[in-house]
Amino acid sequence: MSASTIRSNDIALGVIGTLAVIMLWEAAVRTGVIDRGIFPSPSLAIAAATERLTARQLGENLSWSLARVFSGFLLGALAGVVVGILAGWYRRFGVVVSPLVELLRPIPPLAWIPLAIIWFGLGEPSKFFIIFLGAFFPVVTAAYQGMRGIDPMLLRAGQTMGLSGVPLLLRVAIPAAAPDLATGLRIGWGLSFGVLVAAELIAADRGLGYMIINERNTGGSVGVIIVGILLIGALNLLTDAAIGVAIRHWVGRWHGS
Amino acid sequence: MSARLARAASSLAVIAVLLAAWELAVGYGLLKAYQFPPPSKIARGFAELSLTGFPTGVSLWAHTGVTIWRVLQGYVAAILLAVPLGLLIGALPVLDKLSAPLIVFCRSVATLSLLPLVIVWFGAGELTKVVLIGYGCFWTMLSNVIAGVRYVDPVLVRAARSFGLQGPELYREVVLPAALPRIFAGARMALGVGFMVIVGAEMIGTIQGLGALIMEARTFYRSEITIVGMLVIGLLGFLISSGLAGLERLLMPWASNLDQVRR
Amino acid sequence: MSRAGNVSMREPDATPQAGRSARPPFIRIEAVHKVFAARQGGELKVLDSIDLDIAENEFVSLIGRSGCGKTTLLNIIAGLDAATSGRIAIGDRPVTGPGQGQGVVFQQHALFPWLTALGNVSFGFRKAGLPREERRERTLELLRLVGLEAAANKYPREMSGGMQQRVSIARALALDPQILLMDEPFGALDELTRIELQQELLRIWQARRKTVVFVTHSIDEALTLSDRIVLLAPNPGRIQRIFEVPMPRPRSRTEPAFNALYDEIWSELSS
Repeated sequence: MSASTIRSNDIALGVIGTLAVIMLWEAAVRTGVIDRGIFPSPSLAIAAATERLTARQLGENLSWSLARVFSGFLLGALAGVVVGILAGWYRRFGVVVSPLVELLRPIPPLAWIPLAIIWFGLGEPSKFFIIFLGAFFPVVTAAYQGMRGIDPMLLRAGQTMGLSGVPLLLRVAIPAAAPDLATGLRIGWGLSFGVLVAAELIAADRGLGYMIINERNTGGSVGVIIVGILLIGALNLLTDAAIGVAIRHWVGRWHGS
Repeated sequence: MSARLARAASSLAVIAVLLAAWELAVGYGLLKAYQFPPPSKIARGFAELSLTGFPTGVSLWAHTGVTIWRVLQGYVAAILLAVPLGLLIGALPVLDKLSAPLIVFCRSVATLSLLPLVIVWFGAGELTKVVLIGYGCFWTMLSNVIAGVRYVDPVLVRAARSFGLQGPELYREVVLPAALPRIFAGARMALGVGFMVIVGAEMIGTIQGLGALIMEARTFYRSEITIVGMLVIGLLGFLISSGLAGLERLLMPWASNLDQVRR
Repeated sequence: MSRAGNVSMREPDATPQAGRSARPPFIRIEAVHKVFAARQGGELKVLDSIDLDIAENEFVSLIGRSGCGKTTLLNIIAGLDAATSGRIAIGDRPVTGPGQGQGVVFQQHALFPWLTALGNVSFGFRKAGLPREERRERTLELLRLVGLEAAANKYPREMSGGMQQRVSIARALALDPQILLMDEPFGALDELTRIELQQELLRIWQARRKTVVFVTHSIDEALTLSDRIVLLAPNPGRIQRIFEVPMPRPRSRTEPAFNALYDEIWSELSS
């Protein structure tokens, strides 16, 4: 069996398994084994959702969520990359920054929510801050480790080619640390996403997280809640897969001996 | 050895300097005490929390205990379900392929997004939180158990087979021990996930537990109590992960590089 | 600092130099000491009073047991490390750092994994500031020289050990270095590849006329390649003896002269 045959077999099995579960779910609800008011099947959920929500509402909530997570992640990741790289390259900076980061890192981003509200009020900035933190810590850690773990031979090779200081950092050190950086970014994104949802559940008036908790609070349809949950899950999966593809293209090509 | 001491000393020095600067800044009015409660106030808050409690009667330890208990229940339940299931799925490649997309999807669902749904099912009580934690821990653990079993070094398998081992015996004697490091890593990750979930879950609709504590404190403008709570949460998280890491090293001294086994 | 006489090679019973004594030294190593701080305090003397002159286009090997400081000496010549005392000059200029015309080839290939063979070699042309077309041309030329034109677009991880080392050599040559410093470059390769690359190296050396300082632990390799062999003794590292290798190339292991010299070096090494 060729490799591609095996792969398409695997995909086929995966699809079969997923479809089987979905159909089982549908059957259970239709036959009344599961109360449709409690755990509607996909078809019912989508039906209920289309009744209760307009496309515009959904789109609006979706865009708010995406905008938040993108902006928060971008800035958090950028800060993490810069701080991590500098801390890894310049020892003295690392000595000052490292204990601070290590001290704050074990605190889950969500635990910052009350403090964020104290600092920034109940509006957008506090949510942005939380998502920023969600991205910052994994990325700064990965960047730092990546820099510290560079093969010294590569740096020597760069030196023999006449590089030193900042050019050496840019042209040799950072590419060498890229694989670790990439993994850190991927993890950071996943975390940001999870944090986004939680933050929207707890303290927001727009967005997907808000949408589902609002549905619950106003005694609405469980279907909407389920659709919201599934949508978030799908979004997470898709974006992670996209990052995976990007990493494979930019890093996977040359990484690994 | 002395290099490590030096590093620890310099870390402490940096933190000490920052705390001192903070205290002074508030003293001179550069920072608002509400937004940046100075270390002295935080220390007093800690004392109050430990002795009198916040809200009165519920001490810091009570809150911590509640949080830990909730996590423990969800976590243990998740592990007890995930390990056998994972071992089974890992043993039969067909099962793995059938279930893979589903597992990946369920893992991608933001656990806290399930909160409204679980509240509809189980109300706003203890069970809800335990279920939520269980959900988060379960999928992480399951994925890692399966991966641990599936990605055993084929060289080891080949060596075992050259000794005549096969089938269930091979699985038991070689695959399982080889999978242990990854399984333990999964247990560590799952606990981390459970911990993150509970902090968020406790911020809605409950007044006991560390997550609830820090939210409540804010409502009453007791920012220093919020910070104490945050630090305790952080400390707890740190103790848990290093505790587990130590346990791993104890139980599996032969595992070479446990930190490689991630993702 | 005065130089004690102008002959800096200790060879009480050296073989005649076959007309080399007239050539001016290109690399001068004078009274070089290298001391490292030892872990438990105190010092570790790695190199002691190294005096060595290397002529232009000469091929010199450094051999010796582990701990004799041959890699350290190479690093000092390369400017990657500084001598604790003493002087090193290439041409007329003292060595103050790397990238002054020293091409280095390491044992672990140290190719940049994120660049292809083409990318790695053209990295060496960075400084020359050439227009892109010319850079590409010269890079391909070098790859042709080492026989790897076909692998230009491969990443290091897609190449065998021998190929990787060839690219390393090409990259070092891209700098158009005055001297080529090689630290056991073929040590990690299998026997057949090693022999092949030795011949390649000789070919390149003769075509490009470089001065080569070559570190190896193989007497065989040193004899196959070098004009002179410097034997270093350990603890502390110092020059034990220098051998002239006047045989014409290509050299064969079956030649009596080869074997005679081998035995001599071997006995010197084990004494």
